[in-house]
Amino acid sequence: MASTEFSWDKPNTQSVLLEIKGDKLKLSDDVLISNIRWFITFRWILVAILVFFEILMLSASDALMQLGISEQQKWPIAIIIVLIVANIAYIFALDHCKPSKYNSPSINLWIQIIVDLICLSVVVHYIGSTSTPISFFYVLHIALACIFFSTRESLYVTILVCFMDSIVIIIDNFLITQAPLSTLINSQFLSESARKDGALIWMFFLDILFFVVWYVVSRLSLIVRAHERHLLDAYRQINQAQVEKDQYALLITHQLKSPLDAIRSKINLIKEGYLGETTLEISTALAQIDHRAKNMSGLILDLLRLERLKDTCLDTAVFEYVEIQSALQKCIEKLTPVASSKNVGLNLSIENFFCKVIPDQLEILIENIITNAITYSHENTSVEISSKVDRNNLRANITITDHGIGIEEKDLPNIFNEYFYSPRAALHNKATSGIGLSIVKIAAENNQLKIKVTSEPGVGTTFTVAFGTIEFPATTGSAIPITLINTRLS
Amino acid sequence: MIKQGESIIMPPRIAHVDDDSDIRESVQRILFKNGYEVDSYLSMQEFIDSLQDETKKPDLAILDVMVESMDAGLTTYAKIHKQYPQIQTIFLTSLGDMIRPYFEDGSHEWVCIMEKPVEPVSLMATINERLKKAGEAA
Repeated sequence: MASTEFSWDKPNTQSVLLEIKGDKLKLSDDVLISNIRWFITFRWILVAILVFFEILMLSASDALMQLGISEQQKWPIAIIIVLIVANIAYIFALDHCKPSKYNSPSINLWIQIIVDLICLSVVVHYIGSTSTPISFFYVLHIALACIFFSTRESLYVTILVCFMDSIVIIIDNFLITQAPLSTLINSQFLSESARKDGALIWMFFLDILFFVVWYVVSRLSLIVRAHERHLLDAYRQINQAQVEKDQYALLITHQLKSPLDAIRSKINLIKEGYLGETTLEISTALAQIDHRAKNMSGLILDLLRLERLKDTCLDTAVFEYVEIQSALQKCIEKLTPVASSKNVGLNLSIENFFCKVIPDQLEILIENIITNAITYSHENTSVEISSKVDRNNLRANITITDHGIGIEEKDLPNIFNEYFYSPRAALHNKATSGIGLSIVKIAAENNQLKIKVTSEPGVGTTFTVAFGTIEFPATTGSAIPITLINTRLS
Repeated sequence: MIKQGESIIMPPRIAHVDDDSDIRESVQRILFKNGYEVDSYLSMQEFIDSLQDETKKPDLAILDVMVESMDAGLTTYAKIHKQYPQIQTIFLTSLGDMIRPYFEDGSHEWVCIMEKPVEPVSLMATINERLKKAGEAA
């Protein structure tokens, strides 16, 4: 007995990061929200560092004094409190308030930048606006604004930064003669006029630097966004082309199948005696014509199904929870006439579960495997269809076993290939198109299902469809319902 | 027309729209033979226009889907379902169940789709079932 396992992984395409609002290209709200969360985490880390710094100040003030650092004010505590309160407010606005005109991710981000700038300005003021490089931290805000906002908005942030930095430098050097923390470390004291001149030059160059950084980063950001926009356009064009291709395939299928339907409708009229009596020979010939036309129609529809499955876009496909019991019963209902025409029984044994799949595709998958099982069964045998649940690992599988011609070991790896059919199979079923299992493969791929095939020539074949994550019906409790249906028609 | 005592029972009237003359002829033949009044139309517009005439208003409509345009059958259905909800509808299309995704959710119960070719026994069974359902609802 040969056995082969098949699994096909389909990579999920990345979601779109940008969206077009009017003429502007902006980061989508989802991306902004994830960045807001990142900022909030980053701020908590900053708060932790400040708390650590404060504890160090309190516990080892003597040692720090010896190093020339002393605590002059309580500003770090104020900053910590402001950052904590602000962070809680941002989280509350994000998670517990309804999004509105005044509570959008963009406004949340703006408020964060302004509050951070104010806090940073206080820190710069106390640490030393001109005597330390602390002012360079403003650059971080400009860069982030360039990434998240439009060029104009990031310019507003840059102007705000320049304004705040200038205010701090002016206050530090011209209005208050307060010694910054850093000067306690710095033993060199400059003269008053030299310090003021230096502060003005420092302020001028910093402002120039801020604008240069804004210009460079916003240019880079524009280039990246232009590329993103091209990608977005291409993505839309592909989607549009997909829709048009599907419509075209539908039209061609209709045009190809319509004449066959007209022919078969007339044959049905003759068969049912609507056009008078016919001889046995004519009836037999008509049945043969009808059989060939039916196979042809089936092939045309299968080709359309295959194309549609191939084009399934996983971004837009709707995954839903499907109750396996009803899905299986629906298929059995549909296929019972086919099975009884071959005098093949369908034995069903179900342990019910829910799986998240694309509902239409799961139906196509099950239907195709069962149809195959019926087609390649020996007459007067049965097809066993059962589902089993592994409650511990939340897995389940559906097994479809036939007692038919089986598959040879050398053919087994190829059965899911398009248009593949073995001479033995073709001999048994002259109408084989070699598409049925390709449809199963693509449906399995789209729904992330694995298939195991075990077969022994002349004895039969078992298809096992494995479901990764499943759920159970709420009403079943601990009992496992097993339904046994035998649809064999005697 | 069947006379039953004093009252006269009219045979159910069925409208059939299809641009394929062979299908039209087949459906017409089956329905006539089973005692129905049949009005066949080549286009959806012809059918919609006929609804102005009270005497031509059908109990049930059999619509093809791709007549003149890709979705003429579906748009016609939307129109008549809104204006004349009492008219039962059956879609008779080459594409069969493949058109079901084009209906919105919850349509499975009241949208009846049959795949061509025309099979007299199942067509009659479906028509009778739909008409019976309509009778019960009324």
